[in-house]
Formats: sequence, C-alpha cells, structure tokens
Amino acid sequence: MSKTTDKNRRHNWFVQLGLAFRREWTMILDDVGVMLFFIALPLVYPVVYTLIYNPEIVTKMPIAVVDNSCTPSSRTLVRSLEASPSVAIYDYCTDMGEAKDLFASQKVFGILEIPSDYEKKIVRGEQATVPFYAEVSLLLRYRAYLSALTDLQLKLASDITMTRLQATGVSALGISGLPVNTANTFLGDPGQGFASFVMPGIVILILQQSMVLGICFISGTSRERRRRFYGTDPMMLDDLSASAIVWGKALCYVIFYIPLTIYVVRYIPEIFGLPHQGDPVDYLLFIFPLLLSTAMFGQTVQYLCKERESAFPIIVFTSVLFLFLSGLTWPRYAMNDFWTWMGNLVPATWGVEGFIRINSNGATLAESARPYIAMWILTGIYFLTAWWVTATIRRRSIRRYGPLPDDAQTIS
Amino acid sequence: MIDVGFWQTVRREIGRICSRKMYLGGMIVVPVFMALFFVSLLNEGLPLKVPTAVVDLDHSTMSRSITRSLGATELIDVSRHCESYDDAMDDIRTGDIFGFFVIPDNFERDVLAGKTPTLEYYNNLTYFVPGTLTFKGFKTVAVTTSGSVVRTLLVSAGMSDTSVGPLLQPVVIQDHPIGNPWLSYAIYLSPTFIFAVLGLMIYLMTVFSITIEIKQGTSAQWLASAHDHITVAVTAKLLPHFVVWSVVSQFCLALMFCYNHFPCGDLWAMSLAIELFIIASMAFALFITCVLPNPRLAFTCCALIGILSFSFAGISFPVQNMYGPIAIFSYLVPVRYMMLIYFTVGLDAFPVYYARMYYVALIIFPFVAATLLWRLRRACLKPVYVP
Repeated sequence: MSKTTDKNRRHNWFVQLGLAFRREWTMILDDVGVMLFFIALPLVYPVVYTLIYNPEIVTKMPIAVVDNSCTPSSRTLVRSLEASPSVAIYDYCTDMGEAKDLFASQKVFGILEIPSDYEKKIVRGEQATVPFYAEVSLLLRYRAYLSALTDLQLKLASDITMTRLQATGVSALGISGLPVNTANTFLGDPGQGFASFVMPGIVILILQQSMVLGICFISGTSRERRRRFYGTDPMMLDDLSASAIVWGKALCYVIFYIPLTIYVVRYIPEIFGLPHQGDPVDYLLFIFPLLLSTAMFGQTVQYLCKERESAFPIIVFTSVLFLFLSGLTWPRYAMNDFWTWMGNLVPATWGVEGFIRINSNGATLAESARPYIAMWILTGIYFLTAWWVTATIRRRSIRRYGPLPDDAQTIS
Repeated sequence: MIDVGFWQTVRREIGRICSRKMYLGGMIVVPVFMALFFVSLLNEGLPLKVPTAVVDLDHSTMSRSITRSLGATELIDVSRHCESYDDAMDDIRTGDIFGFFVIPDNFERDVLAGKTPTLEYYNNLTYFVPGTLTFKGFKTVAVTTSGSVVRTLLVSAGMSDTSVGPLLQPVVIQDHPIGNPWLSYAIYLSPTFIFAVLGLMIYLMTVFSITIEIKQGTSAQWLASAHDHITVAVTAKLLPHFVVWSVVSQFCLALMFCYNHFPCGDLWAMSLAIELFIIASMAFALFITCVLPNPRLAFTCCALIGILSFSFAGISFPVQNMYGPIAIFSYLVPVRYMMLIYFTVGLDAFPVYYARMYYVALIIFPFVAATLLWRLRRACLKPVYVP
C-alpha cells in the first residue's frame, strides 16, 4: 500500500524536488572528494591567496646608481630617491657596464645614471636630464619606480625652483609657489594595495569554480556508475522529472554554500583588513543569484565530464580564463565584442563586477542592478541548458549501455 | 640492443592517447585556445581611453580648456560631464566611469587672484589598471595646468620664454623602460600566462595518463610491457606526451614571437628553455604522483599548485615582496624559472649566460622525480583505486 501512495506522491513536482534535494545532500556528504571542493577549497583558498598578496605594496625594489657627477647635488638626488619607500639602493657602480651586469643577473631592476654635468647644469639654471633604466617585466614594480621618480622630480622642482626664483627676484612679484594645488584620492582601495584590489574579485571566482568543480565531480562519478549499471544510476532517482532534479540539486548546492559564502564575503575581508564597505544585506542578496546561476551553470558543463577525475583537466584551467574575462586584470571596456560576450555568459563576471562595487566602493544593491539582473537571466538560461543536459545524459546512457538485463536488477 | 620494451610501451601509450578525446582536448585544444585567447584579448597592449567624467563647477574659459586637455589625453576618455561630486560618485558605484576630475567653483577667479585653488581628482582603484591609467592621465593634466599658469605669470613678469622651462622643471628624470618601451601588457603578460597555462595542463595531463592506469587496473600491464623497469615504463609513456607538448609549445612561441612580433632576444634559447620546461613540468607532476599515487589526490595537489603558480611565480606581484615562507614556494615550481628565463633572454635580451642557473634548475626536476619512482612502481604493481 505504502508503495502506491509513494508513487502518487511522486507525481507532485515539489515532492520530487524535495526527494532530489535530499538525495543530493547525502551524496555530497558521502563523497570525500566533493567535500574537499565544497568545503576545503572555499575555506582555505581565500586565505592562501590573501597571504600571497598580503604585503599589498611593492617596497624596497633594488636599483643601482651610476653617479658620474659625484657632487653634493648628485648625492642629494640619490639620498632623496632612497628616502622613497619603494626604492632601495642595492649598489653604487662605477660605470654602466657594472650596473648592467647587476641588472642582467636580476639583482637590481632599475639603474639611475647621473650625468657628469649634473651639478653644472643645476647651478647654471639649465635643465638637467637624468636617465633611469627600468625593467618592465612586472608592471607593478615599474609603477612603484615611476611614482617614486615622479615624486622626486616634483620635490626637486619645488626645492630648486624656489631658490632660483628668489635669485631672479621674481618672488618679489608675489609668486611664491605653484598657483594651483592638486589633490588626488584613490577610491575603493585607498592604500593602493594589491591584495585589496584583487581579493574581492578572487573570492567570487573561488566560489564559482569550487562549486562547478564539485558538481562536475558528482556528475562524472554518476556517469561512471551509469556505464557500470547498464545506463542507470542506482544512486540517482531516475524516475523523477529532469526539471525537478535540476532544481533540487541547485537548491541543495546553494543552501550548502550559504555558510561558506558568508565566511568568504563577510569574514575574509575583515580578517585581512581588506576594503569592506558595503552593507551585508546588499552583498548577501547580491550573491544569491550568483550561487544559483553557478549551480545551473555547473549542471550544464557537467555534460563534458564523463569521468570522475575528468573534472580536473576540463574545469581547472577555466579559472584563469574566467579571471581574465571578468575584467579584473584587463578591463572589459577594452575587450573586443567576442570576448565581452563570452564574459557575459559567465556568472562570475557579473558577480565580480557587482561584488567589487558593493564591497569596495560601497554601492547599494540598486546601484548594482545591472549585474544582479544579468545573473538572474543567466540562471534562467542555464536552467534550460541544465535541464536538457540532465535529460540527455539519462536518455543517452540508457540507449548506449542499457537495457538492464534481468540478472542486473538485483544490484540496485 | 637489449630489448627493454621501450618501443612497445611507446606504441601502447600512443594507442591510449588516440583512444580518448580527453588527450586531444587537454593537450592540444586547451593550450592552443588559451594562447590564442591571451594574444587576442591583450591585443591592444594598453587599455587606453578609460571612461571618466569631469565635474566642472566653474564653467569658465580656463575650466573649459582643462576639460579639452583631458579629452585630448590618450589615456582617458571623458565620457560624461557630471553636475556634482555626488553624480560622479554614483557613476563610479555603478561602474560607468573609473575616475573623475573636479574643477572647483570660482577656479579661474581664484587662480588669477593668487588664491591657490585645488584641482581634485578621484581614481577608482578597485580595478587596478584603469584606476592607475586615470591617475596618470589626471595627474599629467593637473600638473601641466598648474605649470602653464606659472609660465604665463612668469613670462608676463618679464622672463624669457626659454628660461622658464628649466626654471619650472630643473631636473627631468627620463625613464627608459627596457625591453617593453610601449609598456604593453600583451608583451609581459601573455608569455608568462601562456607558460603558466602550459605548466598547469602538463601537470594535469601527466597525472591523468599515469593515474588512469592505476584506476583502470592496467598499471601492472603497463609495467609488464616495459619488462618491469619503472624508469623505462615512465620514460616511454611520457615520450609521446613530450612530443605533443613540444609541438604545442613551439606553436605558442611562434604565435607570440614570430607572428605577433613580441620582442625576444634569443629565440633559440627560448625554444630550448621551453623544451626543458616541459620536461621539468612533467617531472614535477610525476613527483606528485609518486608521492600520492591516487588519482584524486594527485589531481587535487597538481591543480592546486598549478593554479597557485600563477600567483606565487611572481607574474603580477614581485616575489621579493612576498612573505618569506610563501616566497620559498615560488622556487619549487618550474614555471618560475621559465618566467625568469623569458625575462632575461627574451624580454631584456641579455646573453644566455645570465640565465644559466635557471636552465640548471629546470634540469634538476627530472632527477628529483626519479628518486621516488620506486613508490610509483609499488603502486602500479598493486593498483588500488580509492575514489
């Protein structure tokens, strides 16, 4: 009797959803590999990443100095440069050859060559030119050198110009300094730190990638079972409707991820002192469609994973791809239309964009409406594809590996 | 010649490679796709014309001229004219602009009256590259504006035009970016990222090809085909992989340095380096597999290290500034040495002599892996698959 009521109950879509949810939940808890992706990865990765970038700024980058002038003025110049936190003088070289040797063996990343007529030009009121040779293999390092040099140049300008103006007597006219002040403010990342810039985006990518990896892992394992059990998976509820399975699984993943998401978006920035401006309500509401669209996206790409371990070669490299498509390192406005559209199809692209605005710039959910809506649209699109994938895998496996012989029925 | 089953094992492996689409995807499609991706994405070199806004509260001749100078700067694009600071901040939050420039109320009047008004500019550093470029563009305009005002004042005070320049800027520090004078992101970023992607895929496919034998229980048969010599078995198995990787890597080099003409000092030295890099990466993955002869654990470990290599190899953040215990890891991955070789002999075009130690480091990897092969042999003889 109970069997028939059970069967009737199963006609109800929501009951099917509940059954799929419950089954998926036990599947996750029973699989160490999946737990590793779903729990260890979001737990550990943000910490490791932040530790790598946590020094935030580039300091004490070594340079070599070739002082051909050897005068008080040139020594002042070098002293002022060394006062900058981003520069450290590694060595004084007698000629360019020696400095180049240090440069080539990567002991220094910049050479300051002070010409022999440096002081003469300063005293004469002429313009002195000092070449600085920089290595640009790392733009962050180059940027640190450049800002130190620009500051130095402005400092020298104000020091020397003042004495010169006084000497010409123009200061009597009332020109005491520059007539216009300039002030600049860095928004979102006031300390210009690298971790502060990169981490809010990375954590979103970690959430997406760990979930997709886990989903593909589960799916690959299930398809291995299908091959073994004549196209059916005894662990899956194959009699449920495909849409109920997709939604049941998606809700399961999303609910599983909620505590980890709170840890990643709320506490990671706090622990490491990263920018953390937005209202928790705003960013948690914002993250919800990210998780949901990722769950659907994962159930779509599971199509490619025919084996448990194939999730690794297929999914892992996409982290790099998605990082670039999200526009974190290379802005999206500079991409061509093709890559912009490819980026539009990745949930994390919108997640990164909106979360950064909320977290670092203090935007509200309303101001992040565009990425928020985009993620809901992706949820819809990927639900349809996930539905198709789920139904297709089921149908094709039975066609290819079935039908179930009589003696195999006892296995399930 | 004594038959140790070498060619037999090679033939066996070629058959295995051809039998699965996974090898085609992981060894050819993904690396080539990623190489084309980086090269086409970063094609422009620098993301010029960053969208920005001007908040002109003054509406004077001088403020309009500043707006025009901003518009003429190649780094930024004044895409919006906002009425107030708040408007501009709203645009920052919605992501429409990456920075804005504020010309205060009564700017022209205050300048002429010698009251020293302040030009303010705001850069959104949540996106580092556009933020930095707007900073650079705004700073240039702000400094030249202030300089041109002084110049006008001094010339009107009777100084000659030629003597004003040195007076205002007594020392010019000319910076010469070596190797990449265009400061192009494509040139320094795409090669290093392509090497790192290659490294990652070599790890994963090497682990895949070895652990799949353990998983399917064919590892004993594999060992038997090489007459039970694990060294022969591994070398013969990885030889066809090496050939495929060589072709793919040389294609990547050709794409960057021949087709796209990225500056490269010594292309032959780079070609050699990438061959050694392939061997070192395979050896690295082999080492991990020997330590953890279980598909899932070996994969997890290699994926973790492969992805983290992008960070701790020092591609974006210099290793010198990382915390000591973390910086050590950067010297344990082959991609770090490949990157240093590229910077030394490729980008900066120094003689190979200066990169000799990096080549040596790459050569050491296979020898380290060889010391643990006995563990792999044991695992292969009694394959146990733990899901």
